[in-house]
Amino acid sequence: MQPTESYLKVFYDVRPAKQVERRMLVESFQVLSHLGFPIHEYQYTGLGSIYFVDFIMFHKVLGIRRMLSVEHDEQIRKRVTFNQPFRCVRVKLANIANEIPSLSTRRKHILWLDYDSMLTREHLEHLWLSAAKLPRHSFILVTVDVEPPVKSGTPRKWRDYFRDQGQQYLGNLVLADFAQSNLVNVNKGILTRAIDSGVSSRNVKYIPLWAFSYADGHEMLTVGGMFGTDQDEESLRSGIFAQLDYVKFNRDSDPFRITVPRLTRKERLYLDKLMPAAKNWSPKQFELPQDWIDAYRLIYRYFPSYAELVL
Amino acid sequence: MGITLANAFPHKRFFLEMFTRDIALEDCLLDLIDNSIDSLVRQKNIDPAKDILKKRKTKPPGPLHKVILDLSSKEISISDDCGGIPRSLIDEVFSFGHDAHAKLGQLGAYGIGLKRAIFKIAEQFELDTRTNGEGFRTSVNIPAWAQRDEKPEDWKIPVNLTVPSTNKPAGTDIKFTTLRDEVKMRIRDGAFEGRVSASIAQTYCLFLEDSIRVALNGKTVEPLELPLGSSGLIKPGKVEFTKGSVKVLIMASLAARRPDWAYDRAGWYVLCNGRVVVAADKTDLTGWGEALPNFHSKYNGFVGVVIFRSRNPLELPWTTTKRGLNRESPVFQSARIEMNLLARPIISFLNDMYKSELVEEPAERKIAEKVTLKDIREVVARKPATFQITKKPQQAKATTRIQYEAAVHDIERIKKAIRQPAWGANKVGKYTFDYFVKTECPD
Repeated sequence: MQPTESYLKVFYDVRPAKQVERRMLVESFQVLSHLGFPIHEYQYTGLGSIYFVDFIMFHKVLGIRRMLSVEHDEQIRKRVTFNQPFRCVRVKLANIANEIPSLSTRRKHILWLDYDSMLTREHLEHLWLSAAKLPRHSFILVTVDVEPPVKSGTPRKWRDYFRDQGQQYLGNLVLADFAQSNLVNVNKGILTRAIDSGVSSRNVKYIPLWAFSYADGHEMLTVGGMFGTDQDEESLRSGIFAQLDYVKFNRDSDPFRITVPRLTRKERLYLDKLMPAAKNWSPKQFELPQDWIDAYRLIYRYFPSYAELVL
Repeated sequence: MGITLANAFPHKRFFLEMFTRDIALEDCLLDLIDNSIDSLVRQKNIDPAKDILKKRKTKPPGPLHKVILDLSSKEISISDDCGGIPRSLIDEVFSFGHDAHAKLGQLGAYGIGLKRAIFKIAEQFELDTRTNGEGFRTSVNIPAWAQRDEKPEDWKIPVNLTVPSTNKPAGTDIKFTTLRDEVKMRIRDGAFEGRVSASIAQTYCLFLEDSIRVALNGKTVEPLELPLGSSGLIKPGKVEFTKGSVKVLIMASLAARRPDWAYDRAGWYVLCNGRVVVAADKTDLTGWGEALPNFHSKYNGFVGVVIFRSRNPLELPWTTTKRGLNRESPVFQSARIEMNLLARPIISFLNDMYKSELVEEPAERKIAEKVTLKDIREVVARKPATFQITKKPQQAKATTRIQYEAAVHDIERIKKAIRQPAWGANKVGKYTFDYFVKTECPD
């Protein structure tokens, strides 16, 4: 059973699933820090818009000081600067496509292309450039909307859309692959192949680390990984990083699904007291679908609490 | 059980009929010019790969060396005064492919150009070459030579050693007679001479200015410059790197206006040792449709130049026809990354210049108008940098354009109400706007 649309409307502004994703990424980078990657010295480049939530977390929790937010929309020029959260966040009104080629290769990067639109040809160009540019041990993340690209369309129409946007990254997909339930994997395949293509002639490769799917309204997908060598991959796979539930090294595996069950505060407090629970455990005191419990077990550590703040 | 030895020996037919299919007649002729240039390189011990990129301070001293190419449906001939081929290279001239230790030229790398041209063009072939003091000459009837094809001896070609007369300059003369029917047909095509001329003009654009003159049917071919542009407000981007023995130089900018941008001149130009191998490429070979969008006429203003240079021409990424690139070449793959990174800001500039929803004329258009041709050697001499645009801050305009859809029916009603039946929609729009300002927005 999936949480329904109406429940989501309540939370839409705060986007809990997205926040779970951010917290998982922050935890990943903390673990990577522990493994010797000097994350606090990395440059974080993102599309901060006017909210800068990722920037705030990455600065406060990870200690990253070199931050660049790129915004293309001239209409919100002043708002973007007004909302700059810290002095160390440089805000640039520019096209991200032009900024990627000028990222310094003497520095390591975390680049999050957090689009809120559907996959387009331009996004793939950005990924190709990033993969061609970012030095070893840099991380790339990309988020796209994975709703069916044509409303009330059919797999045939959706296939046409993806052919138009990224024919060369489709691999050998057949019509049946464009079923609605599989569109998230189609998107994931295209994004991954675009990165693979950009990095192909370098002496590093793309090591996939993350793939999240969630819906705070629209179905969204985030994929990401690191540029590194076979050795880098081997050491990540064999260390504590591989023990994180949501890490996905395998190109073909389904994304990690972030499901945020709708729970009351009282229910959450009760469940938390019994976490981490064994698989298939369910509370006796009240009824909850088993898949909600399973989902909660995976995300409770990252699940934000919301409360009204009277200012 | 046992072992038998399979015969893998080549047949002459293969060379005569198969490998001539992969090259166009124009490119065969260019192969012959390449050989002339290589003679010059040998004789003068110059390194065109390096020297042609040096900035000219004065006009080159002395007369240029000449290559004379004459095409008719009876005969094709090419003669040069570029120094001739020394006797020590007789085997290199006629064998298919080079010995592993052969000293290669700068443009001739594979050892197939002359042979392929002979087989492609004619049944009868003559060569006469002389350096200072010694020379050799040969005449081959190809059908007769092709008949015997059983043992290695059958591949040999008799060559006469000569003592050249002193009044002829050192050089090489090649003549093809009894042309193949398909070659005659192409030469009779009224467009053919123009195609050859354009090919020479583009392919040797850097040589033609400095080191060699090519005359086609009696007229000197003028170089077709690489259309790299610049202006006071824009500076071309430039990157350099070295991989193995290959030096790579990449430049990208807006194209020079003449006075507009032309589709056929836009795209990437790739040069190997100074010779243009790919011109105005707009395909995925050079990254269009991957890191760059698919080519579109709005990118007619884009020009990129990539120059690969090496003392060892086998390391360069060209194909054997020198009309394409070997995509698998590691140095080309590395260059392709840099090409895309360098091109990206120019593509964005052109996107902004041709935005679909425009309120006012973008500043990009004014900047683009002023772009003029830049001598590539001047760009080469500059420090590496990304493509730069100096955008003057736009002055806040006091006016802006308004455009909107309105129902024809409503416009007619307004015209009736204001008793102006002859007014156009534009005037009605202006009138109603002014009316609103006057009545609703008092100063």
